[in-house]
Amino acid sequence: MEVEQNIKDYNEIENDMNKTKSDEIKTCNVSNGGQVIHSTDKENANPNMENARNSIRRHDEPSELSFETAPENQEEKAKRKLIENALKDPTTPLEKWREFAKSEYGLINDDLRRSVWPLLLGVDREQCDPVPTLEELSNHPEYNQVVLDVNRSLKRFPPGIPIQQRLALQDQLTVIILRVITKYPHLSYYQGYHDIAVTFLLVAGEEIAFHIMEILSTDHLVECMQKTFEIVQKRLLIIYALIWRENQKLFEYLERSQCGLLFALPWYLTWFGHSLNQYRSVVRLYDYFLASEPLMPLYVTASIVLYRDEDVFREDCDRANLHCLLSQLPDDLPFEYLLIKSEKLYEKYPPHDLHRDIEKIIEREQKIREEEDKIFETRRQMIQRRRNPQPPAPSFIYRLFPQAILFNRKSIIVTTAFSIVIGIFAYYYKNNGTFHVDVIR
Amino acid sequence: MSEDFDLLFKVVLIGDCAVGKSCIVTRFKTGNVFTERHTNTIGVDFSMKTITIDNKRIKLQIWDTAGHERFRSITSSYYRSAHGVIIVYDITKRNTFLSLQKWINEVRNYTANSVVCALVGNKCDLVDEREVSAEEAQEVCDLIPEILFQIETSAKENTNIENAFAKIAEELMNRQTIIGDDSNNGIKLGQSKSIREGNCNC
Repeated sequence: MEVEQNIKDYNEIENDMNKTKSDEIKTCNVSNGGQVIHSTDKENANPNMENARNSIRRHDEPSELSFETAPENQEEKAKRKLIENALKDPTTPLEKWREFAKSEYGLINDDLRRSVWPLLLGVDREQCDPVPTLEELSNHPEYNQVVLDVNRSLKRFPPGIPIQQRLALQDQLTVIILRVITKYPHLSYYQGYHDIAVTFLLVAGEEIAFHIMEILSTDHLVECMQKTFEIVQKRLLIIYALIWRENQKLFEYLERSQCGLLFALPWYLTWFGHSLNQYRSVVRLYDYFLASEPLMPLYVTASIVLYRDEDVFREDCDRANLHCLLSQLPDDLPFEYLLIKSEKLYEKYPPHDLHRDIEKIIEREQKIREEEDKIFETRRQMIQRRRNPQPPAPSFIYRLFPQAILFNRKSIIVTTAFSIVIGIFAYYYKNNGTFHVDVIR
Repeated sequence: MSEDFDLLFKVVLIGDCAVGKSCIVTRFKTGNVFTERHTNTIGVDFSMKTITIDNKRIKLQIWDTAGHERFRSITSSYYRSAHGVIIVYDITKRNTFLSLQKWINEVRNYTANSVVCALVGNKCDLVDEREVSAEEAQEVCDLIPEILFQIETSAKENTNIENAFAKIAEELMNRQTIIGDDSNNGIKLGQSKSIREGNCNC
C-alpha cells in the first residue's frame, strides 16, 4: 500500500512539475565552465544535492564514478520493509518484483538487489554450470579484447578497494564475459558489455552475475551482440521518433544540426553504466531496466533529451556543439521523474507504433546525405582540379578550334581518316599529273 | 574563454584499441592531465582547443573515435568532413603499427582527398618495450603518400603532444592559403560564436 501511495505521490509531484516546468523544474544554472545544472524542488529537499553540485566535474577533468551513499529516508525504509517481507514469501509473483523495481527508489540498496535482481530475470540459483578456468577461456578469439577492456574498467570499482581484491574481481569479470560468449557462439562481444557485467558482478557475485548476463545476452542485449551494429543503429532512431512525436521543433533542430545519435550509443549499449558518474544512479536504472522491456533505455534517453530541450535550443545548431552537450549527462538528472516520463512515453508510443516514423526519418536522412554527397563530390573535384590544373594549350590552335572538336574521340578518328584520304588523293593527282605531262611531251 | 578564431579545422583520431587516442586528446586539451584510469571510448568523444600559429587563432575540433572494429561503420561517417586525420599506434605493440594499412584504407575510403594525415607513435616513454623503431615509421611515412609526417609522442610524459597537433594545424593552414579563401573547401572562417571549448569525456 505504501508503495502505491508513493507512486501516487509521485504522480502528484509530476503534475505539479508539469505545471511549473519552466519556473521550478528546469532552473538552469551555468557553472563550472558551462556545465548546465538542473534543479528540482524535490531534489532541493535532498541535502546531498548540494554536494553533488559542488562535486560536478569540469569538462577537462577525467570523470570518476562516485560511490557516495546516503542514509535511507523514511520512504525508503518503509519500502525496504515491504521488499523484505515479500522476500520471505515464496509465492510473491514476478509482477510484484517488477513493481518494486520500477517504482520510486527502486530496490533501495545493494543487499536487496542481490536477492531481487535474480528473481526479476528468473535466475535458477540451483543451476550449476561447470566453470571453465581462465586458461581454458583464453583461446577465445575475443580474449585479448575482453582482457584489454576489463583492465581499463578501473573506474567502475569502488575507490579504496584493496588491489588484490580488485584484481580478483577483474579476473571474475573476464571469466563471466568469456563464459557467456563461449556458451553462445552466435553472440559477439562488444565494448561496453563489460560495463553491464561489472555492475552485476559487484552487486550479485560471480555465479549469479554469469546467469544474469546469460539471460540478458539472449534477450535484452541480443541485438547489441550481433556481428555489426546495423540493428542497433536503426533502433537508436526510436529516440528521434519519440522526440518527433513529443516536440517537433526539438526534433527539427537536432536533425538540422546533424548531431546524429552517437551521443546515446554508450547509454544504450551499457544501460548508462559507462556514462553516469553516480553509482547509485547506475544501480537505480538497472533496477528499472531489469523490470522493463528491452527497448526501455531508448525511451529513457528520449525523456532525457526532451527534458533538456531548453539546453539544446540554447546551443548553436551545430553537430559538434550538440553532440558535446547531449553526450554529457548532468549529475543531477531527476531520474525518478524521468523514469515515470519514460513509462508514459512507452505506453503512448510503443515500439511497434513507431515503425512508420522511423522509416520517414531514414528517408529524410537519406535525402540530406545525398545532398551532402553531391556537395562533397563537387568539393573533391574542385580541389582535384586546383591541385592538377590542365597543361596550358598551344594557344592559337585552341583559339581556332573549340576543345571539344580537338579532343573528342570521334573527331580525332574523323580528322585522321580525313588526312589519310587527302594524302591518297594528293598522291594520286601527283602521279596523274606527271603522267599527263609525259603524254604531252 | 575567447570564442574568436581565424580558422577552424576538424581533426579525427583513429587507430587500434588502447593505443592512447583518448589520453592524447585529454593531454592536449588540458596540458596537465594524464590518467591511467581511462576507459574505452564507445562511439566518439569530442573536444575543442584553440592554438595560435603565426598570429592566427586556429580552433581545432577533435573527434576521438573508438578503436574497436565493431564501431568502425558507425564512426566512419565522422571522417568525411575531417580536414586532418591522426593515425595513432602504440610503439610497444607492433600489431597496432601493422594495422596502419587498414586505417589508411579507411582514410582513402571515407575522407576528402585533401585531408592531411599524420602518423603518431604513442607511448614513446616506454623505451624498453619498444617494438617499432622511429626509422621504420619514417620509411612507411615516405612510402604512403597520404601521410605527411610521423611523430612519436608520450601522452604520459607530455612529449610532442602539442607539437603533433600544431604541425597538422600548420600544414592545414598553409594548404588553406595555397588553395585560397573559399568556403567551399570546407574550412570555416571565424564563424562560430558559441562553440564551447569542451571535452566530452564520455
